[in-house]
Amino acid sequence: MIEFLLLLIFAVFFGLLLHGIHRKVIARIQKRPGPPFWQEILHTLKFSFKQTWIPRTASQVMYVAIVLIAIGIWTAALYVFCIGGSLLLIFAFYMLHKIVEHGTGLSSGSPYTKFGAIRSVMSAAAELPLLVTVSVVYLFTGTLSISGIAGWEAANVPLIGIALPAAVSLYLIILSKAHYGPFSVIEAKELVSGYWTEHFGGWRALLNIALSLKTFVLISVFIVVFIGVLPWWLFLIVMILVMVSVSFICATTPMLTPYNTVLIQTIWTGVVCLYGVIVWVVMIS
Amino acid sequence: MMESILVTIPFGDMIHYLSGYTGVLFGFAAVFVLLAVISLPEKPVEIVFGTDGYSLKETPVDLAKFQRFMAIACGIATIGAIVTGDIFNFTLFAAFIGVLNIGIVAAVKNKHVLSAAFSYGLVVMMGTVPLFAGAAIIAATTGTLSIWELAAAGGVPVIAKLLLLIGVLGEGMAPFYIGKAEITRASGAPYILMIHVSSLLLFLRVVEILLTV
Repeated sequence: MIEFLLLLIFAVFFGLLLHGIHRKVIARIQKRPGPPFWQEILHTLKFSFKQTWIPRTASQVMYVAIVLIAIGIWTAALYVFCIGGSLLLIFAFYMLHKIVEHGTGLSSGSPYTKFGAIRSVMSAAAELPLLVTVSVVYLFTGTLSISGIAGWEAANVPLIGIALPAAVSLYLIILSKAHYGPFSVIEAKELVSGYWTEHFGGWRALLNIALSLKTFVLISVFIVVFIGVLPWWLFLIVMILVMVSVSFICATTPMLTPYNTVLIQTIWTGVVCLYGVIVWVVMIS
Repeated sequence: MMESILVTIPFGDMIHYLSGYTGVLFGFAAVFVLLAVISLPEKPVEIVFGTDGYSLKETPVDLAKFQRFMAIACGIATIGAIVTGDIFNFTLFAAFIGVLNIGIVAAVKNKHVLSAAFSYGLVVMMGTVPLFAGAAIIAATTGTLSIWELAAAGGVPVIAKLLLLIGVLGEGMAPFYIGKAEITRASGAPYILMIHVSSLLLFLRVVEILLTV
């Protein structure tokens, strides 16, 4: 338990550091100096000690509970990842994060957050390829346990080499959840900060912690499922490289309109479903 | 492929169960039922079109009571869909969730919201056809609707699985926010949120069923 708590603290700080690297890389590509790498850690610490209250228009219990739920689901996701649990559970936690986004937006009473919340439901188009990813991984490895998948890769080949479309789907999920990305319509600037505009002070700090855990878990799962188990130092380097690649896309791609976001995600869903059917037919024949 | 089982409650050949996966879904649904019980509705701020003015909308007590009842019933139906070990019961709970979701939306006395509720209602009604057709095909081809027995015996036709998935997508109406976002004119938390909670949990449960049978 103590080991897990230490890992949890490390994951929070490393996740925040990844968010800081993300901002720095975007800034440098756009020829701006950008904030220091550790800015998101400073942000979170600063928010933690700022004055906090609940808006009068909010559904007060929900407004607070949804923040705790966000931390709860990503802490549980980290635990499942650590014990090499089920990939299906990670998929479930990711889907439950949709409800967190939706609930955060709907609970405050603000029209900006509400539209962010509705856009989060629209971007559910990104989740269907993830289901195909899970199915394809199962078809190849015969297991949905993360430790089992890692064992299969150690005995055979990394899945990224033979199931590239599935890896791209999970990568798109990471991209769609990154700040300032082409699919980040739920926190577009025309909605101020989107679904979490009205969560400030301590609530914002807690949401930052939840999102840093989410980034840490999603990138970790991507590496273990599609590349395999690596030494810890190499694992951290690959995590940073994945984040930098996401930052590069975010820096060079404008934010899409909600319509185009859903359109692109739906087209990719069609492509990856076709791929899933082909893999299934080949595997059973 | 069946997840590791934590609890079983046998009723004849129907074995209701909780695995690690469905246990998480169960816990999540239970938390949101509790939140629906203890939370008061939000007071949405509306911008007055063409001006800098805004208005604060209060939810009438009778409307809040009705929506709360519907949201709690919807949450309980979601829990039923999560723990059941029988595909027919699952389809019944899914149809129940669809009807209750319509109830949450249709309670709002606003023509735009009612228009959205009408459209959602059409989709939900159409969704029941593939939903029950899927269950019927499974019963006809395998002779049982027990998920437990189907997991051991297999042999569920792919077409039945697809129909079940399409039916659930119809009953869980959250995806149709895309086409009819007028729902945003109603107060959101915690009652409208239950629509999304039940839709997503229903989808996650059907994924587990389809991978199991």
